[in-house]
Amino acid sequence: MTDRIREQISALIDGELPQDEVGLLVRRLERDPQLRGAFGRYVLAGEAVRSPEGPLASRGFAARVSAAVGEDVAAEPVPGVARAAWSRWSRPAMATAIAASAAIVAVLLVARGSEEVGQVAQASLDRARDRFASLPLAQAASPTLAHSQRLAGYLVAHGQFSNAIGRRTAWSSVLASDPGLVRASYESLEAP
Amino acid sequence: MALLALPARAADDAHEWLERMGESLSSRNYIGVFTHATRRQSETMRIVHRVGKGASTERLVSLDGSGREIVRTAEEVHVYLPDRRVVLVEARSDDRSLLDSLPEPGPQLDKLYELQIRDGHKLLGRDVRVLDIRPRDGFRYGYRLWLDEESAMPLRTVVMDGTGRPVELMNFTQLEMPRRIAASETEPSIDASGFQWVRHARQPRQPTQVAWRPMKLPPGFRLVASRTQVMPGIAFPVQHLIFSDGFASISVFIEPARPGGEAPPESSSVGSASAFSTLVHGHVVTAVGEVPLETVRDVARSVAPATIATPESAGAGPAGAADAPVLWPR
Repeated sequence: MTDRIREQISALIDGELPQDEVGLLVRRLERDPQLRGAFGRYVLAGEAVRSPEGPLASRGFAARVSAAVGEDVAAEPVPGVARAAWSRWSRPAMATAIAASAAIVAVLLVARGSEEVGQVAQASLDRARDRFASLPLAQAASPTLAHSQRLAGYLVAHGQFSNAIGRRTAWSSVLASDPGLVRASYESLEAP
Repeated sequence: MALLALPARAADDAHEWLERMGESLSSRNYIGVFTHATRRQSETMRIVHRVGKGASTERLVSLDGSGREIVRTAEEVHVYLPDRRVVLVEARSDDRSLLDSLPEPGPQLDKLYELQIRDGHKLLGRDVRVLDIRPRDGFRYGYRLWLDEESAMPLRTVVMDGTGRPVELMNFTQLEMPRRIAASETEPSIDASGFQWVRHARQPRQPTQVAWRPMKLPPGFRLVASRTQVMPGIAFPVQHLIFSDGFASISVFIEPARPGGEAPPESSSVGSASAFSTLVHGHVVTAVGEVPLETVRDVARSVAPATIATPESAGAGPAGAADAPVLWPR
């Protein structure tokens, strides 16, 4: 999977993919089973983050995505503990997960041509966008190698002065080839 | 519902677990595989942490996609980016400082975070305790840590923002803590011959030394270290200020802007690590930290030149010799 596709999928999940690219990506998802599997893993990974304590939500979410794409999604197992008493931390996470699932399923259904579902999809996307819009949109041009390297260097240097948890977080971000790293680095520094 | 009935343990107990975790992370040998997931994607990582002769070395490898690696030797940190055929080299900071260990739990930390420990279910077949570190404001993240009952090693870590929204998950699927680990385990698996090695400049040009300070800091953060360092691929030395609230940390990097370069657009987040850049008096100021974007944004925007040092004093004081961190009293 290319970085471009990876970034498009992330943007789709976040409700940030431009409308004209949504249709193209969904058609590609319908054609390419491997891409569908990767998409499912992305969705489940994101959902695992949003609802890390409960495997139940992941199963339900996987089922909804499966129904939308018409086949089983290759779910990564999310080792879970039994659902604990939900603290105030947990409730917003569940709400966010539900909003995300609605948005993604709606996007897929839109591709199947239902106008009514399309309206629902747009509303869901708007809702998801409101909830997820912590990352600013990237500029149109591609980031340069120097940009990414510079931010990677900053993260590595910062990680040396973090506690062990913080260091693992910062350095994992460098290794993850996260589209966000590319985007952040591009936006963080001046043009070459 | 049964867990609801479990009484929270004494706060001191939570502090003890936090201390135990810090001690384990820095002093134990361990090899593990964990999932690192953010809201954008998930990757599998392998970590090897080896302690020998009082010094620790570490290797962190992405098992998916890029195959990137970070190797922390006794002297340097090497970042292997095979997808770009680049190796970044950063001098390693001194382990003796506060910076390799978790904070001393105490009243100061309690002002900023609420700590709570409770029983948890098994993970990886091990009994666990769940440690919640909840921020008392929105300037910092909270943590939920599943700690191995026996070793206090974190088997699962969830980072959450101030409203309780998880932003990052690290979940071990394998973890071993052998008595000995071969040194070869921390050597890179990548053949980097032919790669571009980006090291710090040998003799960086020294512009006039200016002390920079943020005029505005979130409650509880204070300057704990400062250094002027040379960064891979950057011609001028970069001033690096490190702030800590006792658990989270923020780095501020100040470097001269390229003449004629465009002002840096303002941004952004990478998992639970946030970065924000802005242009101040002809310098690019970038704040980075495992805190919300708003926090690094506020810090970066408040940075201003404080004093102008003479050439004679350029090598002394808080902005002292390259790679020599100057620690502030805690």
